[in-house]
Amino acid sequence: MSMIEPSSSESTGAAGEPVIRVRGLRKHYGAKVAVDGIHLSVDAGEIVGLLGPNGAGKTTTILMLLGLTEATSGSIEVCGFDPMHNPLEVKRTVAYLPDSVGFYDQLSARENLRYIGRLAGIASNELEARMDEALERVRLSAVARNRVGTFSRGMQQRLGIAEVLIKRARVAILDEPTNGLDPQSTYELLEMIRTLKSDGIAVLLSSHILDRVQAVCDRVALFHQGRIELEGSVESLAAQVLGASHGVHVQSSADAPVAQCLTEIAGVKSVVTDGPGLFRVLAESDVRDLIARTLVARDLPVLRLDRIEPSLDEIYRRHFAGAQHEQA
Amino acid sequence: MKTLMPFRFGCTRHGLVRSGFSAALAARAAVVLMLLAPMASAADAPGMHGVWLTTDYPTRTARPGDTANLKLKLQNYNSAPEVLELRVGGLPAGWKAVILGAGSPVASAMPGINENVALQLRVDVPNDAKAGSYRLLLSAGGNSQRADLPVAIVIGQELPAKLQLRAKLPSLRGTPKSSFEYQFTVQNESDKDLIVRFGADAPPGFQATFSEGYGSQEISSIPIEAGQSKDMKAKIQPPENTPANDYPVRINANAEGTEAGAEVTLQISGQPTLRLSGPEGRLSGEAQAGSETQFLLTLANEGSAPASNVELTANAPAQWKVEFNPKLMPQIAPGQKIEISALVTPSSKAVSGDYMATLRASGNGASTSAEFRVTVTTSTLWGILGILIIAIALMVAVGAVSRFGRR
Amino acid sequence: MNKRAGSPWTGCGIVAVKEINDHLRSARMLVLELLVLLTGIAAVYSAIQGLRTTTGQDAFLFLRLFTDARNPMPSFAGILVFLIPLMAIGLGFDGVNGEFNRRTMSRILAQPIFRDALLLGKFLAGLATLSIGLLSLWLLVIGLGLLTLGIPPGGSEVARALSFLLLAVLYGGLWLAIALFMSTVFRSPATAALSSLGLWLFFSVLWPMLSQFLAAAIYPNDAALLLGVQSIEQLQAQQWLSRISPGALFEEAMVGVLSPMTRSLGLVFPEQMRGAVNGAPLGFVQSLLLVWPQVTGLVAAMILLFVGTYVAFQRQEVRA
Repeated sequence: MSMIEPSSSESTGAAGEPVIRVRGLRKHYGAKVAVDGIHLSVDAGEIVGLLGPNGAGKTTTILMLLGLTEATSGSIEVCGFDPMHNPLEVKRTVAYLPDSVGFYDQLSARENLRYIGRLAGIASNELEARMDEALERVRLSAVARNRVGTFSRGMQQRLGIAEVLIKRARVAILDEPTNGLDPQSTYELLEMIRTLKSDGIAVLLSSHILDRVQAVCDRVALFHQGRIELEGSVESLAAQVLGASHGVHVQSSADAPVAQCLTEIAGVKSVVTDGPGLFRVLAESDVRDLIARTLVARDLPVLRLDRIEPSLDEIYRRHFAGAQHEQA
Repeated sequence: MKTLMPFRFGCTRHGLVRSGFSAALAARAAVVLMLLAPMASAADAPGMHGVWLTTDYPTRTARPGDTANLKLKLQNYNSAPEVLELRVGGLPAGWKAVILGAGSPVASAMPGINENVALQLRVDVPNDAKAGSYRLLLSAGGNSQRADLPVAIVIGQELPAKLQLRAKLPSLRGTPKSSFEYQFTVQNESDKDLIVRFGADAPPGFQATFSEGYGSQEISSIPIEAGQSKDMKAKIQPPENTPANDYPVRINANAEGTEAGAEVTLQISGQPTLRLSGPEGRLSGEAQAGSETQFLLTLANEGSAPASNVELTANAPAQWKVEFNPKLMPQIAPGQKIEISALVTPSSKAVSGDYMATLRASGNGASTSAEFRVTVTTSTLWGILGILIIAIALMVAVGAVSRFGRR
Repeated sequence: MNKRAGSPWTGCGIVAVKEINDHLRSARMLVLELLVLLTGIAAVYSAIQGLRTTTGQDAFLFLRLFTDARNPMPSFAGILVFLIPLMAIGLGFDGVNGEFNRRTMSRILAQPIFRDALLLGKFLAGLATLSIGLLSLWLLVIGLGLLTLGIPPGGSEVARALSFLLLAVLYGGLWLAIALFMSTVFRSPATAALSSLGLWLFFSVLWPMLSQFLAAAIYPNDAALLLGVQSIEQLQAQQWLSRISPGALFEEAMVGVLSPMTRSLGLVFPEQMRGAVNGAPLGFVQSLLLVWPQVTGLVAAMILLFVGTYVAFQRQEVRA
C-alpha cells in the first residue's frame, strides 16, 4: 500500500496539488508556545522561504513536517502522508538538509551518500548510478572519495543537494543552507536550488538572513514568534507592507532641482533623499520612463536611474516596526 | 695447670680399668662353676668304671648291595682318658666296613672322663652277599682299657615298604564356596625312610592341595622316617557352582611302590549367590535434586541354593532417601531374577554432580552390594525460570517500544 | 499516543553494518584490540608454559589454556574479566551523544528510519564488533593451543570453550549497554566515558570490598568479628551482594563452564558433599544449568539496561 501511494500522489502532484499542506499547526513546549497555529501550503516545483529570526519557530515547523517532533495540534500532509502517522513514508519522499549539514566527517562523500541511499532503500547498483550522476551535477565527482571532514561548508551543502537528487525526493527542506557560506558559494548553492525547482522538486528554505534567499524564493513566509506573519511573493509583500510596489533610485549631479522635479511627476508618492544627489522615489506604477523624460526635458543630468527591488529586510523591518508601534 | 692435667687424668683412668677388669674376672669364674656342676653330676654313673662300646640295634637287616649304618657310642666311665684303637673284626670277604667319626673315617677315639664319642659303622654289603646272618666284632682297645661289641648284619630279611593313611574326619559338609579341609595321618610302617607323595582322586574341577598339619606351605611330597608318622592336611576346593550333592574323594599317599588311601566325602549343600545389577547393566543413573527418580534394578540369584529373607538396604549420602520396591523378599530360587525398583530422592540441597550410594541385598547365606553412581542433575525448573526472567525483560522491552517506539 | 506505521526496526541492519565498519576502522578499536590481544596472548603463553611442565593427565587440558594463571600473569579469562568492559565502554561511550556532538543526529533521523532502529543498530554493531574481536582472540588461543599442546580439543571442550566465548560476548554486551546508557544520559562523551569507567572501576575494585563490609553491617556478628572470620550469613550476603557486579557474574559463570569439576558456585556445606564422588566432572548441560542463573542475570541486566537507554533516548528532543 505504501509502495503504491507515492506514485498515485505523484500524478496528483503533477496536476498542481500542493505537496505540503499545513493547517493550524501548533507546538507547545510546556507553557512555551513554539509554533502557534500556522497554515502553509507548498506546490510541486515551488521554492518557499521560511524566513525569520532565530527562535521564530522555523526549525520546529520543519521537524514537525518530518515527524521528528510531535505536533500539539493541527494537521500536516506531505505528499499525501501524515508525518505523525507515517513518518517513514514522509521521510522517504523528503530530503532534509539540517543547518548543521551533518554528514559523517570520517566517511567519504560517497560513503555518506551510500549510507543514506541504503537507508532510503535504493538497490545498490541503481544507487551507484544515481550517486555518479548526482555528484557530477553538484560538481563533487573529483573529491567523491575524500573524507567529508576535509570539505568546505559549501561543498558539504552541495553534497546535501546531491542527497536530494539521490533520494529522488519530491520535497527538499533546507535549514539555513547559506549559513557560513562565502558569497561565491552562496551563489552556486542558490543556483543549484534553482535547478531543483526545474526538476519539479518543492523546496522549503529556511533562513534568518533574509535578502540572501529572497532571490530564489517564489514565495516567502515570514515567521515571527511562532506565527507566519506574512506570506506571499516578495513583490506582493512589498506592496502589502511598503504600501507602494515600485521604487526607483535616481542619481543626479544636481541636487534641489531634481528633488523638486521628481515630486511633480504624476504617480510619485514620495521622494526621499538618501544622500547628495541620490533620491529614492516611490510611486504607484513604474515611473522610470516618465522620470527620464522629465529630467531630460528639464535638462537635468541623469547619472543613474534604476528600479529598487523590494527588500525583504525592509519589509520585515517595516512590518514588525509597525507591529511594535501598534502594540505600543 | 697445663702440666698437671694429663697426669691427673691418667691416674684416674688406670684406677678405673683395673677395678673393671677384676670384676669381670670374678663374674666369669662364677659362670664356669655353675656350668660345670650339673654336667659332672649328669655324666656321673656311680659304680661304673671303664670304657664301653654300645649300639642301639646290634642286629641289623640289610639287602645285598645296601649300605648298613649302625650308630655306635664309645663311653668312658670314671677312667683316665686314653687313645683307643678302633677295629672291625670278622668281616666277610668282599664286604667293606669303615668307622666314621663326625662324618669322616677314624681309626681311634678318645673319650674324656664320663664322656662319650658318637661313632658310626658303615658296612657296604656286596651285591652278591648271600642271605644269612653275619657276625662282626667291633673293638676299641688301648693300653689299659678294652671294649668289644659283637653285632650282626642279617641279609635277606628286610621288611617291605608300607604306609598307612587315616583320615580323622572323613566326611565334611559345606557350601561350594567353603573349602573342605581334611586332617589325616600318614604312617611309615616300614623300616626305612620314605619319601611319600600325595594325590587325590576327585571329580573334575575339584582342586586338592596338601600341606603339613599346621603348616601353610603347599607340598606334594614329604619324607617320613622309618616308623614315624606325619599329620597332614588335604584341602579340597569344589568348583563355585557345584550342585548340592555328596562327592567322594580318595586321598592317596604312595612311596616306593606302596600306596595307602582313604576315602573322604564332600557333602556340598549348595549356596545362594546374589547379584545386583543396574538398568541395562549400568550401575549409574541420573536423578534430580529433591525429586524422586526410579531406577530399575535386577536382583538375581546365581547360586545353587535358594536365598531366603533377602532385604534391600542402601547406604546413601546424608539426607537422601532411597526406597525399594519390593524391599523384602522371602525367597529367591536359584536362577530367579527379580525386578526391583529403587526410588532415589537426592537431598534437595545436593549440589549437582556424581555421588556414590551403596545398595545392599542381604539374606540368609548370601549378600551382595553394588556401588551405584548417581549423577545429581539440577532441576531444569531453574533454567525455565531463567528463561522466564529473560522473557519478562524482553516484554519490558516490547512494552517500551510500544510506549515510546517509532519516533 | 497515536500509532505510527512501519516497523520500528526498519533500517536497523543498515545502521548496524555502517557502525561495524566505523568501529573496525577506528583507531580507538585498534588500540583496544591490540591491548587485549597482547595481554591475552601473554597470559595464554604463560599458561602453555605451565601446562607443558605439568604433564599430568587432564581430560580438559584445553580449557586450562583459558583458566591457568602463572605468576606474574593472570589467566586469560581473568584478563578478559578486566578488559572486556574497557573494550565495550570504548565502543559505546559516544554512541548516542557522539551523533549529537557531530551534529549528525538530525540528518540521520531525517532518513526513513525510526530512532529505535538507530539505537538498536548501534547496540548490535557494538555487540558484533565485540564478537568479532573476541572470536578472533578465541580462535588465536585455540590455534596456539593446537600448535603447542599438539592435541585436538574434545567435543565437550569445544562446547565449553564456545560457551565461554558466548558468555564473554554477553558480558561485553552488558557493559556496552551501560556505556550506551551513559552516552544517552550525558551529552558530553567525556562525562559518559568517565562515568562508565568509574562504574567499571567501582565494580572491579571497590565493590568486592564494599560487599564484604556491607554483609558485615547487615548481619552483625560479634563472635565472628572477634575471631576475624565471617559468619555463614555474612558470607552468603557478601556473595549475593558481590553478584550485583557484572564482573562477578561473568567470573562465576566462566568458572562453571571452564572448570567442569565445579559443582556449585555458592557456599557448600560438608553434609551436602557427603557421598559425593571427588573430582568427577559435570556434564556439559549440567554445567550450563549451574551457570544459568548467572547467564540469566547477565542477559536480563543487558536487556533492561538497553530498555532504559532506549526510553531515555526516545524521550530526547532531536534538536540539541
